[in-house]
Amino acid sequence: MTDAALARGPVVERRRGEGWTAAALITPASIFVAFCLLAPIAILFRFSLNEFVPSKKLMVEALTVANYVKFFTDPYYTTILATTVRIAVLVTAVCLVLGFPLAYVVARTQSRFKHLLIISIVLPLFVGNAVRAAGWMTVFGNKGFFNATLMGLGVIDQPLEIMFTEKAVVIGIIAVNLPFMVLSLQSVIEGIDRSVEEAAFSLGAPPATMFRRVLWPLALPGVLAGTILTFVLAMNAYATPFLLGGPLFAMMAPSAQEGFAVDMGYNPTVTNAKVPPDVQKRIGFTEEEQKRLRDLDYGYMAKNDTAFQEWWNKSFKG
Amino acid sequence: MARLDLEKLSKRYGDFFAVRDVSLQIADGEFLVLLGPSGCGKTTTLRMVAGFIEPSDGAVRLGGSDVTVLPPWKRNAGMVFQSYALFPHLSVAQNVAFGLEMRKLPRADIERRVEEALALVRLTGFGGRLPRQLSGGQQQRVALARALAIRPDVLLLDEPLSNLDAKLRQEVRVEIRELQRQLGLTTVMVTHDQEEALTMADRLVVMNEGAVRQVGSQRDLYERPADRFVAGFVGRSTFLDGAVEAPGRFRTDGGLALACAGGMPGRAALALRPERVEIAPSANTNMSGLDNSLPGTVEFVSYLGALIDIHVRLSPQDRLVVQIANRDGGFAPDVGQPVQVGWPAAAGLVFNE
Repeated sequence: MTDAALARGPVVERRRGEGWTAAALITPASIFVAFCLLAPIAILFRFSLNEFVPSKKLMVEALTVANYVKFFTDPYYTTILATTVRIAVLVTAVCLVLGFPLAYVVARTQSRFKHLLIISIVLPLFVGNAVRAAGWMTVFGNKGFFNATLMGLGVIDQPLEIMFTEKAVVIGIIAVNLPFMVLSLQSVIEGIDRSVEEAAFSLGAPPATMFRRVLWPLALPGVLAGTILTFVLAMNAYATPFLLGGPLFAMMAPSAQEGFAVDMGYNPTVTNAKVPPDVQKRIGFTEEEQKRLRDLDYGYMAKNDTAFQEWWNKSFKG
Repeated sequence: MARLDLEKLSKRYGDFFAVRDVSLQIADGEFLVLLGPSGCGKTTTLRMVAGFIEPSDGAVRLGGSDVTVLPPWKRNAGMVFQSYALFPHLSVAQNVAFGLEMRKLPRADIERRVEEALALVRLTGFGGRLPRQLSGGQQQRVALARALAIRPDVLLLDEPLSNLDAKLRQEVRVEIRELQRQLGLTTVMVTHDQEEALTMADRLVVMNEGAVRQVGSQRDLYERPADRFVAGFVGRSTFLDGAVEAPGRFRTDGGLALACAGGMPGRAALALRPERVEIAPSANTNMSGLDNSLPGTVEFVSYLGALIDIHVRLSPQDRLVVQIANRDGGFAPDVGQPVQVGWPAAAGLVFNE
């Protein structure tokens, strides 16, 4: 080596073509992320700057932050946001507290049934959220498993109100999110040398101190990953709050969907669905009937919306 | 520092004894090495002393007080782990300070003792580094400093050198030994490396299958192994299987009649240290001074640099390893060459079955 080369310090040898290989490996996923994740978000973001004019269409081409101002000032939205964040934080905290000991045991077990343990943690995820929520409904209802058991045992004489409360939603989302927390933590704890814990013990640290000074800081990457994952999943929970929270309970994801449906006038979003001929015969309109169908004039409807409602309230309800 | 006593210590997993009835007395300032193949129970024994494993039976006394059921954090035992087990998120100084903080020492004392401990292992000035910024040897020394800083009653070393390369291992061996003497540390080390054990220990304990096979000095174990296992594990032995026909007369399964020292009539093995056997080219067979002198054929030669191993076939059933020094003009055997081997009767150790 020349003096100049030595002065530059150790030379890191690069294998030929390393750069190209790396590029080739990350390209497919990068393209997918760009087109299928970033692009829709960018388009939605552009939409969010449009003007919302209920009387005409959903939106009119514009460049305004009015929607954001409305979202952060209108109590309807801020309440939903606050509820959602509160529930997400609560769920995440409970998942962390419940998940850490479980993840620790799974990570440290020498049992040959370890794989079975992991599978049993993941298995509940095979049940869809809606089906699972339906299951919770049979548990939480006034005559559900939970209340029936407690009342049968004489612990309570009035059913506890769980169904269609925040409690039900929180329990439901925890059940969905816990596996994600456990798996995130378990993979990180597994990478922590067991003897590091023993070293702390032998230096005089009781278990709680060992946890605080050694295990927790070393597990932090897993805590962070699990917490973010669980929080995001809770923020976006749809089926669980919708089915377990009931009509009066508002979290963001179902409310957004509902708000969208209302503003669309509950119009179908799918218009070109093909139906098998025999079903079509039973439910479809005949050609004559189809001729009599009229399209709704949304402009006219929107313009006279107040008048219609007044009429409805006065001459129908009254 | 303190003396350490193990009394009939056992660890049972179901029907399996990982450690069985181990009783040892380790004097204040003594360096004891537990030696044995993997799975022999030496690590389990050490971990029972540290408090990581609760004994099924027996007692551990440290400085005269019974610590058998005390958790590790209430024993004053400094441990160095095979993987060093440094806290990766803490600096070198914080690692060494950990045990002192647990003892709630004043800040100034902690700093002073951290400096002392680092100076002891020649790592002054490394306090601010993270463990991953150090070489394996340096990490090992931090682990040692961390264990020494708490001024333990006993120092426990669990294969502390097995992750170092061969050259470094020899240096660190001497370093640990000198430190141990200088500080008068009662020390128990576990290793499967007999060279390591022989160079470091005051006294050795050979274990196999959960039990102590022999306790003694290097010379005791090598010259007077208690059984066939120790003879094979400490140093090297060639075993000739056969039977003692009468005291002093051994006949191998291959039919060779050999003179031996002692032994009860019956099935037995004759153990020979490779370096205690003389060898000469067949033409020059002046071995009249030796009790045993036999012809053989060189079957395999293994050149070790300073030493040469020669495998000699004595009969279809009997093969012997002879080790000679590699000297200028010395014997240079060839495979297939006829040779003469010989040894005094006292060199052969008889182990009855």
